[in-house]
Amino acid sequence: MSTIGWPSFRSLNQEGIVFAIAVVLFVSAAIGLPGFIDANNLVSIVRSVSVLGILALGMAVVVIGRGIDLSAVAIMAMSVAWYLQLLNTGTPDGLAFAYVLAGVLAIGMLNGFLVAYADVPAIFVTLATGSFVFGYVRSQLITQDAVPVPQGHWVELLGGLRFLDIPIEVFVFAGLAFLFLLFLRYTKWGRYIYFAGDNPVAARNIGIPVRPMLVLRYVLSAFVALVAGLLTAASLHSINTRVVNSTLLYDIVLVAVIGGIGLSGGRGGVRNVLVGAALIGILLNAMTIIDIPLLYQNLIKAAILLGAIIVDGIINPRDEQTAQQGDI
Amino acid sequence: MKFIRTFMAAATALAVTAFVAPTFAADDPGPAAYAQALKGKRVMLVPLAMGFDLAQGWAHFLKKEVEGWGGVFETRDPNWVVDAGAQAITDAISSDTRPDVLIIHAPDLNSYSKLMKKAQAAGTYVILVDNPANFPADAFVGSDWDRLGQLEAEAAIKGCGENSSKKIGLVQGDQANSSSLYQYAGIMKVLDKHPDFKVVAKPDSNWDATTSRNVTTTMLQQNPDICSIIDFWDGDATGASAAIRDAKLDGKVFLVTTGGGEKAADCDKLQDGTYGAVVMTDLARQSGDMNAIIKFLLQSGQPAGTSHTYIYTLEKATTKADLKPDSCWDLKALQAEAAAK
Amino acid sequence: MSFRERLQSWRYNLVPDHLVGEILTKRWTDNAIPFLALVVTLATFGSLIPGFFKLTSLQESTRQLGEFSMVVTGMTVVMLGGGIDLSVGSIFALSCFSAVYVFFILEQSIWLALAASLATGLIFGAINGYLVGYLRLRAFLTTLVTFIFGRALFDILVTTYAADVQLSTATSDVLDFIGDSTFWGLSVSVWLAIILAIVTHIALTRSRPGWHVLAVGGSRRSAHNAGIRVRRTVFMTYVFSGFCASIGGFLIACRLSGAGPGTGLNLEIMALTAAVVGGVSLGGGRGSVIKGLMGAIIVLTMTNGLIRLGYGTGTNQMVLGIMLAVAVTIDIRWLKNRHKVLNEVYVAPVYLKMGATQSAAPGSGTPYELDNRLSAADHIGLGELEGPEDVILDRNDNLYCGTRHGEIVRFFAPDYVKSEVFAHIGGFPLGLAFDKAGNLISCVGAMGLYSVSPEREVKRLSAETARSWTSIVDDARLRDPNDCDIAPDGRIYFTDSTKRYDAHDWALDSIENRATGRLLVYDPKDGSTRTLLDGYRYTNGVCMAHDGKSLFFAESWACRVHRYWLEGPKAGTAECVIRDMPGYPDNINRASDGNYWMAWLGMRTPSFDLSLRHPDMRKRMTRRLPQDEWLFPNINTGGVVKFDEKGGIVEAMGDLTGGAHPMVTSMREHKGFLFVGGILNNRIGRYKISGADPNWTSSASYWGAKS
Repeated sequence: MSTIGWPSFRSLNQEGIVFAIAVVLFVSAAIGLPGFIDANNLVSIVRSVSVLGILALGMAVVVIGRGIDLSAVAIMAMSVAWYLQLLNTGTPDGLAFAYVLAGVLAIGMLNGFLVAYADVPAIFVTLATGSFVFGYVRSQLITQDAVPVPQGHWVELLGGLRFLDIPIEVFVFAGLAFLFLLFLRYTKWGRYIYFAGDNPVAARNIGIPVRPMLVLRYVLSAFVALVAGLLTAASLHSINTRVVNSTLLYDIVLVAVIGGIGLSGGRGGVRNVLVGAALIGILLNAMTIIDIPLLYQNLIKAAILLGAIIVDGIINPRDEQTAQQGDI
Repeated sequence: MKFIRTFMAAATALAVTAFVAPTFAADDPGPAAYAQALKGKRVMLVPLAMGFDLAQGWAHFLKKEVEGWGGVFETRDPNWVVDAGAQAITDAISSDTRPDVLIIHAPDLNSYSKLMKKAQAAGTYVILVDNPANFPADAFVGSDWDRLGQLEAEAAIKGCGENSSKKIGLVQGDQANSSSLYQYAGIMKVLDKHPDFKVVAKPDSNWDATTSRNVTTTMLQQNPDICSIIDFWDGDATGASAAIRDAKLDGKVFLVTTGGGEKAADCDKLQDGTYGAVVMTDLARQSGDMNAIIKFLLQSGQPAGTSHTYIYTLEKATTKADLKPDSCWDLKALQAEAAAK
Repeated sequence: MSFRERLQSWRYNLVPDHLVGEILTKRWTDNAIPFLALVVTLATFGSLIPGFFKLTSLQESTRQLGEFSMVVTGMTVVMLGGGIDLSVGSIFALSCFSAVYVFFILEQSIWLALAASLATGLIFGAINGYLVGYLRLRAFLTTLVTFIFGRALFDILVTTYAADVQLSTATSDVLDFIGDSTFWGLSVSVWLAIILAIVTHIALTRSRPGWHVLAVGGSRRSAHNAGIRVRRTVFMTYVFSGFCASIGGFLIACRLSGAGPGTGLNLEIMALTAAVVGGVSLGGGRGSVIKGLMGAIIVLTMTNGLIRLGYGTGTNQMVLGIMLAVAVTIDIRWLKNRHKVLNEVYVAPVYLKMGATQSAAPGSGTPYELDNRLSAADHIGLGELEGPEDVILDRNDNLYCGTRHGEIVRFFAPDYVKSEVFAHIGGFPLGLAFDKAGNLISCVGAMGLYSVSPEREVKRLSAETARSWTSIVDDARLRDPNDCDIAPDGRIYFTDSTKRYDAHDWALDSIENRATGRLLVYDPKDGSTRTLLDGYRYTNGVCMAHDGKSLFFAESWACRVHRYWLEGPKAGTAECVIRDMPGYPDNINRASDGNYWMAWLGMRTPSFDLSLRHPDMRKRMTRRLPQDEWLFPNINTGGVVKFDEKGGIVEAMGDLTGGAHPMVTSMREHKGFLFVGGILNNRIGRYKISGADPNWTSSASYWGAKS
């Protein structure tokens, strides 16, 4: 995090490796695949990973602060599903949105509270709240796996919104990425997140409000999930809650982590998310163009990811003496 | 138990004939025998999940009928988890309240085969619904997926028309589910007869709308002149339709899919032009078939596993042109009706 | 006794408050939360589902549990080693496929299918282990990627071969037996799961590789520095996890006779949830196989139970989520606060009304009247010694004492200037005695009874006695062996002052004042240790009477001396010979004039006596006040008291200046001198006793003149 700009290849770290792979893939796809370099296709690459990327941004902030948010997908899908259900059953829009926003923030705060004040490891807290959110909304608030967007609602219109022929998600992703970049790099509180992630005890000792900030991060992540959910519903005109049980969650963690954000906290930034998202986006797009079946796409994706972390493990071996306890 | 139950039934029947018959000789013995054979029988539905239109529709119609003749109707909700479904079936078979009829919506050809055999061995009739499995159940009620695929392909060809690019894209489900595999086979059969039509891409959606949107977007970019897309399920076809909309190809690409004929999922979308054609399963009729076979099996007296009946539901490709008010059933209305009770 | 006091005595002497604290000290209370959850879950679903506990129903419904708990066992071991294995679902599925492929498609024997299954699991586990263990990649990320890889591979394979599996006609009795039958009332998968759990548990708790796993999980760095082969250990945990998952996969292949795209889906989250609900901590070091199993039963019973009750999608996840959150939060809070709770509740004072006593104040004219004689004592080892609790002299007039550093120090006669470490024991040597052969017998605090030969060979004689069935704390262990003496037949009589506190927490024991002190005997002939008497308030000094037919022992917090008869008509019984002294008695030793010396470690105070009648106040005090503000026995003043065979007090002496011997824990008469030790003192005092026999030695008194 000491230098601004793209990683240099002399100090090849995980981010560098992933970036290199992404570049190689991009160049070979551009040469080998007709229609890949087309402007529309490039937009669609970005678009296909924008929701993933937005979720990964939220995840990144949490992970940098030495946490993890496994409830992101549940919050994303279930909040919007509840919102749409409320709308479909005739609740006024403003009230429905207020309910949902309150619910989302409450879950974020619950996550943060349990992690910060009850000292429960984040992975368990968010696993539990994710499961609860899905279960509660699915069993008590909505009746079906998929909830459609009411005809003519603003969410539907949002999905059709274009600027310079580029879908709205791309701008939201870019805008959020930029905001997160500013937040993490240039604000006091953003820098504090790195301190807290690097060494929570020391951060607390020098007077950083570590615990309230932890709550803030989970609230932020929950809010970002809501945004991602709204965008998903906007483009599909419905939200399918089955996405909670899919591998989307793993993909989010992967995008955040593969780009070089350490799960042990304190390292990485928006750039790493972009690198991770770029790799996944290019990979999936190229494979779809070649018409590789989904099953093989997963295999290839996993193989490349595995290669990336193995190369990183060999180039940057971890030291027994400096490794942190409980860092998995 | 079974012997005693049969004996009791026979004794009652005998008593009825002995004491009542002479006085009301003209009475129809049917209703009494019917009630006798069905009373208190348990019917259990184990779908892939209870959270989608088909399962909810079946459950609605079955419940109405089964409770109508004095039986007990239950559902189990494995929520798309195969192991949970397997366990639900196992528990049902070994429990005190073993169902007399088990209606199974199989997730794939093989997973439940052994359990269904066990169920039959325990004396439970097994009816497979919608998805075929590699097992001779007492009855199969559902779609002929091959035929369904053929109908889809024919609708797509019709939708494209003679003067089109004759390029068709497929959005398959996955490579494991029989419904997906057989649909593909059916489509290919028809397309073989129309060699001028060709499939330009056939990605999988994994039954997920977002994936469907992404693969369709790419497909349309590579082949902007595609004239028809067949998405294998209306559950994820919303993704394909979103991609078409995004590519500003509405009205140019004829989207064909399959569905359970639910109003919001199918008819409304046909109405607003999202879908060009939907090969719909007539859910009410399909449920009626199930009800009939349940009643037959329970009265037949034959041991479980002796009959192997196939009842395929009549499928029809519906387009906006032949949309009628009763083309679809309305889940919301059913739920409202259930809630009102 | 006032009514208030009577109530207090009932309340605090009859209600066993102390048991709460004792239960909390048990390691197994770690399991309390998950166990409670288990009982509640089983009770709830057992009562809601008719026939839940019926054997045939259980036989069938536990098959899945068998498979699942094996996966959880593997996951538990990985987590104990400080890792995580998200790929168990993929391994499970691939192993299942391997078995199905070999059996149904290649139509080989079921045993070959099993071998293929295991090989798949071991290879996959080895890959994980190599990446995480040897390459030191991060477990979470790595196994996440291998999970996706394995899943994709499985999906491809199962799709490709699904049709062939269906066409296969292969059958096997063994397969049907494993998948369908039961053996001694339980299905094969449950048996295997039980065996695996037992073996794993024993391996983890009682074998070197198991300890290595726990050590690595507890602190990877320390384990590395201690020379444990960390990488290999981590590698092995993943291989083991792969092995466990592969057995599970094989069993499901037998149960369902096939593999489907849904096999093993979401298993990793289920297994992780189970391990966590059971109380296995992430990041390693804490947890057990039993906990994992409890978690597995809870999670499966709940998921399947809710489905059986007909609840729809979501209810399951909702309940699971609540349960996970509650279980983990309670578990974490519990773990974090257990020692706090323990500190709060462990001290459970009882009511005691001390008898009125005579004054020991100078000029009071009582037999207990202290004077200033001890302040005149010479000092030995001033500043070199720390805590000579007991002192003793050998036949060559050399002086021995224990020190706080865990050593027995010898001062050489005749001037006692030169000293050496006679023996290193490790614990704090308290009471000392020479046996007939010249071995130095010592009660070592918190360790037991030890013997040091003249050749300085240290030998443990006894560290435990018989466990009493009603005690919750482990009273077999000698917690605070205090003083010993040796009968003419060689038996060693010694005291263990308290069952509830370690030696250094004697102040807490005095505040609690519970009678848990014991008198024990060690028989050198067969090496056995027996408990003779129990239920005294801090048994302390022991001294064999001059005739060897009885012994005296001190009961410190009750300020009494008892006589225990070894022979004669009263053999095996104890009688109180001195009661209600003004000081707290410590060691007792023989005097040359046929009487006995007794040390007073401190003096009673009216305030503490009063507080003994207010257990509630003492309880509040230990909870709310810092330790240095507690009221406990005064140990700033002590002394030496001589009493006769009948318990009559002959004389008392002290150090009123408090400069040399404020508290006295022991004294030994030797050739006309009295050697004085104190557990908190920094010297040994030597005091010339006027009129004492200048040739009398303790050794001669016990074992006769030098042979």
